[in-house]
Amino acid sequence: MGASERRLVLGFRVASLVAFLLLWEWAARARISFNFPGPWPTVLALLDLVRGGGLLSATATSALSLALGFGTALIVGIPLGLVMGVVRPVGRVARVYCDLLIALPTAALIPLVILTFGINVVSSAAIVFVFSAPFIIMNAYGGVRDVRPRLVEMARSFNVSPLRLFTLIVVPSALPMILSGVRYGLSRAFVGLIIAELLLSPFGLGRLIMVSRSMFEHDRMFAAVLWTVLLAVGALALVSRLETRLMRWRT
Amino acid sequence: MDIAARGVSRRFGSVQALAEVTLAIRSGEFVTLIGPSGCGKTTLLKIIGGLVAADTGEILIGGRRVAGPGRERSMVFQDFALLPWATVKRNVEFGLLLAGVGREEREAAALRYIAKVGLAGFEDAYPGQLSGGMQQRVGLARALAVNPAILLMDEPFASIDEQTRRLFQDDLLALWSDERKTVVFVTHSMEEAIYLSDRVIVLSPRPGRVHEVLDVALPRPRDAADVRASVEFTRLVDGLWKILRKLQ
Repeated sequence: MGASERRLVLGFRVASLVAFLLLWEWAARARISFNFPGPWPTVLALLDLVRGGGLLSATATSALSLALGFGTALIVGIPLGLVMGVVRPVGRVARVYCDLLIALPTAALIPLVILTFGINVVSSAAIVFVFSAPFIIMNAYGGVRDVRPRLVEMARSFNVSPLRLFTLIVVPSALPMILSGVRYGLSRAFVGLIIAELLLSPFGLGRLIMVSRSMFEHDRMFAAVLWTVLLAVGALALVSRLETRLMRWRT
Repeated sequence: MDIAARGVSRRFGSVQALAEVTLAIRSGEFVTLIGPSGCGKTTLLKIIGGLVAADTGEILIGGRRVAGPGRERSMVFQDFALLPWATVKRNVEFGLLLAGVGREEREAAALRYIAKVGLAGFEDAYPGQLSGGMQQRVGLARALAVNPAILLMDEPFASIDEQTRRLFQDDLLALWSDERKTVVFVTHSMEEAIYLSDRVIVLSPRPGRVHEVLDVALPRPRDAADVRASVEFTRLVDGLWKILRKLQ
C-alpha cells in the first residue's frame, strides 16, 4: 500500500466515522424513540461509568468468560482442526458436528448450558466456546486441505519424516487460514459473550446493559454497548496485526 | 553415480504409464527424457527419484536398488515448489535441515549455493518477490545444497520466458561441468534437449516405452562453441522432430 493510498484509506475512515456520528446525532434529535441518547450524552455516561468503577469490574468479569471460552476454543480447536485435516476419516466424521454447530441457532443451546453448568462464569465461557470453536476448527481443517501437494512431494524428495512434514509444511501452509479462523472466531466469541450475559448472567457487561435498561438509564446502556463494541474492535485489530506480522511474506 | 532402469512398469488405474522401460545412464552424463504428453517421462523421473514406486522392475543407483528418496538424488520441479513463507536462504537450507545438518554448516552451504546460482544479495528475499527464473534458481540451489550425485529435473524451464531460459541453460551447463553431477532432465522442448544433453532418450506414449536414443556429439562448452548457430545443431533438432512427429 502506497503512502497516497494509505492517506485515502485514513480519509475514508475519518469521513465514515463523522458520517456515523452525524447520523446518530440526527437520530437522537429526531426523537425516533423516547429518550434516545445522542453521542455526546453517551460519551459522558461512559466516562461516568469508568469513574464509578462499575464498568471496569464488569469488563474484568466479561473478559474472564471471554478468555476462558475463547482460549479453550483456540487450544482445542486449532489442534483438532489440524488432526481432522491430516487424518481424513476423523475429519469426515468431525466436520458433520462442526457444520451442525455452525448451522444451528446456537442461542438455542443456552438453556442446555445453564442446566449443565448453572449460572456462573463457566456457563458464559461455555457459550463463548460453542459460538467460536466451530469456525476455528473448520478453518484449521480447511487450511490443511489447502496444502499444495507439490510442497509435500518436494519435502518427500528430501526424505521428510511425518512429524517434520507436519511442522515444516502442513502447519505453515495452514497458518493463513488458521489465523483468519481465529479472527472470525473472536468476533463470534464476542457475540456469544453478549448473548450469554444478556440472557443468563447476573454479571459482566451484559448485566450492565440490562440493569441500565431496566432503570431507564438509556445513556448508560448505550455507553455500555459502545464500550463493548470498542473492546471487540480493539481485540479484532490486535488479531489483524498479528496476522500481518506473521504473514509478512505475502507482501 | 550411474543409473539403471530394468524393466520398469507402472500403471495408474487403467492407464499403462510405463511398460518395461530399460535404460542405463552413465555417471556424470547429461541425459534428457523427451516425448509426447502421456509418454510417462515425468513418471519415470519420479520413479528414479523414489517418489513413485514401480509396479514391476527396478531402479539401480550406483548398483544399489532404490526403495525411496535418497540423499544422493535431488529434484528440481517445474513449478519450483518453494516455501512461500520462507526466505531464499531458508528455502535453500531446507534439504540440509531435513538431513540433520547443523545450523552453521547449513547457512554456509546455503550462502555458497545461492552465490553459485547467481542470487547473491537475495538471501533474505521471499519467493513471491522474485521472478520465475530467479525462483527456479532458488530451486536449483536447494537441490544442489545437499550435494547430490544425481540431479533430477522435471521440466524446470517450462514456465520461464525464452531469454531467461537461454541464460539459465548456459548457467546450468556451467554448474554441471563444474560439479560433475549426473543429470536427468525432462523437457518437451527439442532445442533444449539437443542443446543440453549428451544423449536424448525419446519415449513413446501409451504405454510409455523407450522409442529411440539419440547421441548428441556437439562440442562443449556449448555457449562458447556457439552450438545453436551450427548446422549440426539444426540437423539434430530436425532429426528429433522427425522422430517425435511420428509419435504424435
